[in-house]
Amino acid sequence: MMEKKLRQEAKALLEQKRVDWIVGFESGSLKFTTTPLITRNVADTERLVINPFITNNLANFLTEIEGRVGIVAKGCESRSIVSLIQDNKVDREDLVILAVPCPGIIDLAKIERLVGKDRDELDDITRDGDKVSVKVDGKKKDFAVADVLFDHCLACELPTPTKYDILLGEPRQPTPDLKVSGQNIAGLKALTSAERWTKWQDEMSRCIRCYACRNVCPACFCERCFVEETEPQWVMPMPQWPDNLIFQVIRNIHVAGRCTDCGECERVCPVNIPLRSLTREMYDIVDELFKFKSGMDKDALPLMVHYEQEEAEEFFK
Amino acid sequence: MTQESEWEPKLLGFLCRWCSYAGADLAGTSRKKYPANIRIIKVPCSGRVDSLFILKALRLGFDGVLVSGCHPGDCHYQTGNYRARRRIAITKKFLDYIGIEPQRLQASWVSASEGGKFAKVVTDVTKGLKEVGPNRLFERKNDGEKAKAGSEGPARTKKG
Repeated sequence: MMEKKLRQEAKALLEQKRVDWIVGFESGSLKFTTTPLITRNVADTERLVINPFITNNLANFLTEIEGRVGIVAKGCESRSIVSLIQDNKVDREDLVILAVPCPGIIDLAKIERLVGKDRDELDDITRDGDKVSVKVDGKKKDFAVADVLFDHCLACELPTPTKYDILLGEPRQPTPDLKVSGQNIAGLKALTSAERWTKWQDEMSRCIRCYACRNVCPACFCERCFVEETEPQWVMPMPQWPDNLIFQVIRNIHVAGRCTDCGECERVCPVNIPLRSLTREMYDIVDELFKFKSGMDKDALPLMVHYEQEEAEEFFK
Repeated sequence: MTQESEWEPKLLGFLCRWCSYAGADLAGTSRKKYPANIRIIKVPCSGRVDSLFILKALRLGFDGVLVSGCHPGDCHYQTGNYRARRRIAITKKFLDYIGIEPQRLQASWVSASEGGKFAKVVTDVTKGLKEVGPNRLFERKNDGEKAKAGSEGPARTKKG
């Protein structure tokens, strides 16, 4: 089992002093949830878990931890790590990457919607290949895996990290399904420009400016964010839709070429703003214009550092 | 007072200190005519222009933004305009996606010797903005009503 191997390896890494810290997942306090575990204590490695609910992008912690780190990495973490290496935010030498071939993470909100019950009322969720069984009120309900995974998992291009030190389990091949995961964006693109603007106004008027999207994002590593600057004050701290929208748009432009479409911002949003419809579009724009996929090649220059002599000239008079 | 037919677009120009600003100077000293709709801010390099400046200008009510720098290969800092080019390209596409008319963001390469080109660029951009119309993007004031409607709207429950 992956979990057993992970615990052994993590324990060995700490005991042999090859790393100072282990960053992984442990069971959360609520049903089915997991929470990040950051530890330097050998005994804690017994609490490490790998299950279909390991949602967080752990690469977010790398810029804050000092010393050598053994990190549990799914495909999306590995891409964020590569992106951080490109930006010289972390050193590959300081990392031991424990690669998890990821079959996709289960979105509890989707299950709640399908079953029509709150997550606390579910007895068990198990995954077997392409089938997910939910036990509720003593009855078992089966769902296709494609109906319950996160949208960004359906579009996943890298389930198994390409750069790793220890591989746990068999590598998986990517099977990106852009049709289902891109439904939201396709729907938006079918609207007129004015309708899209109204749509984003409505979405952003819910924003409470908790900055969870920014704080959970491994690509958002600025020491001081423009929203907190007061001289000049770029955006008002008070949550009003124009400022909320500018915040999101600029955040997306600032992380262009770093955002790996890990979908964390959308998951943590407490008011359910479909943020992935922004990040994914930016990801596609960058790919279309500059053939750049973030977090794929650690030796490539970052998007905004590199340039070609002739490109994107059609935007200039 | 002002009628729709008399409306003149307000254009904010970010001109690089080495080429385009000098080009604008040359347009002036050689008495080229160009519309007075442009307000100019001098920046050290077109690479200095963050997309934030562009959004902020639109938020403050400018109808359009023009970013102008040295021709590719002529940047005083070697690579600033190449970076500006990438940034403006993605910004323009992204603005289009969220519903801001992409014509509101324009960019050009104007060298210090191209006074005529500067006059032409400003004339063209102003003409384009007249077609797009005034910037009413951030006019809507109500926040609460729509926010309430939105939270009831889609069947998206809390997430884990």
